[in-house]
Amino acid sequence: MNEGILVQIIRTIDLTKRFGDLVAIDHLNLNIEEGEIFGLLGPNGAGKTTVVLMLSTVIKPTEGTAFVGEQDIRKDPDDVRKLIGICFQEPKILWVSTPWDVLNWHAKVCGLSTEERKKRVKQVLEDVNLWEYRQRNVHGLSGGMRKRVEISKVLIQRPKIAFIDEPTAQIDVVGKHKIWNMIRELRDEGSTIILATNELHEADILSDRVGIMHKGKLLVCDTPKTLKDSILGGDIVEIRLEKEVTQRALDELKNFQEVVDVIAVNPNNLRVYLNKVEEIVPQIMKLFLKKHLPISSIHMSEPSLDDVFVHYTGLTIEEAEQKRPSR
Amino acid sequence: MNALRKTLLVVERDLRMFLQYKFLIIMRTIWFIAQIAFFGLIASHMVVPDLADIYFEYYIAGVVIMMLYSASVFIGYDIFEEAEHGVFEYLLSLPVSRRELVFGRSIGGGIRSFVFVGPLIAISLFVIGLTNPLNFLIALSALFLFAFGVSGMSITIAVGLKSSDRFDILMGALNAFIIRLSTTMYPQAFVQNASQAYATIASFNPVTFASDLFRWGVGIEKYLTMNPMPLAAIIGLVIFFCAFTFIGVTFYERRLEGGGWK
Repeated sequence: MNEGILVQIIRTIDLTKRFGDLVAIDHLNLNIEEGEIFGLLGPNGAGKTTVVLMLSTVIKPTEGTAFVGEQDIRKDPDDVRKLIGICFQEPKILWVSTPWDVLNWHAKVCGLSTEERKKRVKQVLEDVNLWEYRQRNVHGLSGGMRKRVEISKVLIQRPKIAFIDEPTAQIDVVGKHKIWNMIRELRDEGSTIILATNELHEADILSDRVGIMHKGKLLVCDTPKTLKDSILGGDIVEIRLEKEVTQRALDELKNFQEVVDVIAVNPNNLRVYLNKVEEIVPQIMKLFLKKHLPISSIHMSEPSLDDVFVHYTGLTIEEAEQKRPSR
Repeated sequence: MNALRKTLLVVERDLRMFLQYKFLIIMRTIWFIAQIAFFGLIASHMVVPDLADIYFEYYIAGVVIMMLYSASVFIGYDIFEEAEHGVFEYLLSLPVSRRELVFGRSIGGGIRSFVFVGPLIAISLFVIGLTNPLNFLIALSALFLFAFGVSGMSITIAVGLKSSDRFDILMGALNAFIIRLSTTMYPQAFVQNASQAYATIASFNPVTFASDLFRWGVGIEKYLTMNPMPLAAIIGLVIFFCAFTFIGVTFYERRLEGGGWK
């Protein structure tokens, strides 16, 4: 992140969006600083995309407002759109178009000069390995290729503020690393990036700060390190059992003073949040042996953003997605 | 970038998109040729023999306007296609104002219908002949306004209904009324003989204005509705264009800004 005076480039004030009875975004108050990569995290249905659509003036808030680069999204939507660029979650491309046509027109409408446009479109198409497919109809491209066309729009535009929604959905592992590097480069060139994702690992390695959303509310917002450090019981032990854990064994495990929380990921797999891991692990092993629950594996790790999410919501991200409200 | 440049870019996009529909263009051209070569020729022999040639020319001019109308309506269907693929959200996120967007799309819809109808106009000129090129150019300019107006109407209805099924039904019904209650296929005198009410509606129908102007432009002025020509028809088309382009912009802004397409 850039050092120096921090300028808030996005500020939301009680930003709210309702769709009928459903409160998609509930009084969101959020500040994003210029030049940072801000990870907006949450399961599908948490409201990330709705926030992006409101900040980009595609949809209007029901209540509250936001300032994007000093411009009020309610009063000056045309000025807001001059500052932003979006990579949508689902590629927004007609199937009869070709990647070249889509990107060339996008660059034109974003005001790039002819020379700069041709140079950037070619460069980005080569970078995302789509140059040889540039004249093929989008209809004939795979899902991952279409997503690469979508993210290319922002990479070519280099907007002051880039909203990138699920940047690596449907993209293979090699492609993911390439796109992550491109997002970092975009930030280094001066863009502020709002990364909406449910891939917590992606947010962890890319973001300067993250905000975790659940059911339309912002639960917590800070640097990934601060959030991970904030979890009581900073050590995590993953225990895989050969048999299903009993309620009695779980209760006894929770009774250890050092154990902060226990989550049964499934009946044979426990995630234990605790302190003083070195002292307590032998005692835990002894407990399961006594209960005739053989341990097949045990693994100790640092907390991740998944753990932060579990800590603040009481749910894994998969569980939260299963419980998401429908419009 | 100024507003005109942005509007022209929106126009360019719509033109490029339209040229992707090659099969549709070929199919409609074949339909036009079949319609005048078979139906027009045969139907013209149903009238008094002395007027057969005149009606044939009258009919060709009418079919050109019908094609111009249906090609201009096509942009409404594109809007549903875009809504389905989410392209609408993309367009709404661009550094283009809503006014530039809808104005550009109306103009784009109009121009591309002219790109489509251009060869058909050439065929009709070949068959009918051209007596006064200046009149023809005036008529052609006014037909641009007609095409922009129909495109604006199609966009306004599409955005207003937000349902492709309802749009399809309404446009089908509208097409039946607006074409049939006009002088596209039959002269005003015959409409008046059938019903005074029909004749009154036909007199204020933009399709009548367009059909009569085109006939005036190519020099077949018999049985025209408007008097004096071409001023009344041009004024009618200007009002039609303004109504559906400029008022349509306001409607478009309200319908789409209030919570997106769906």
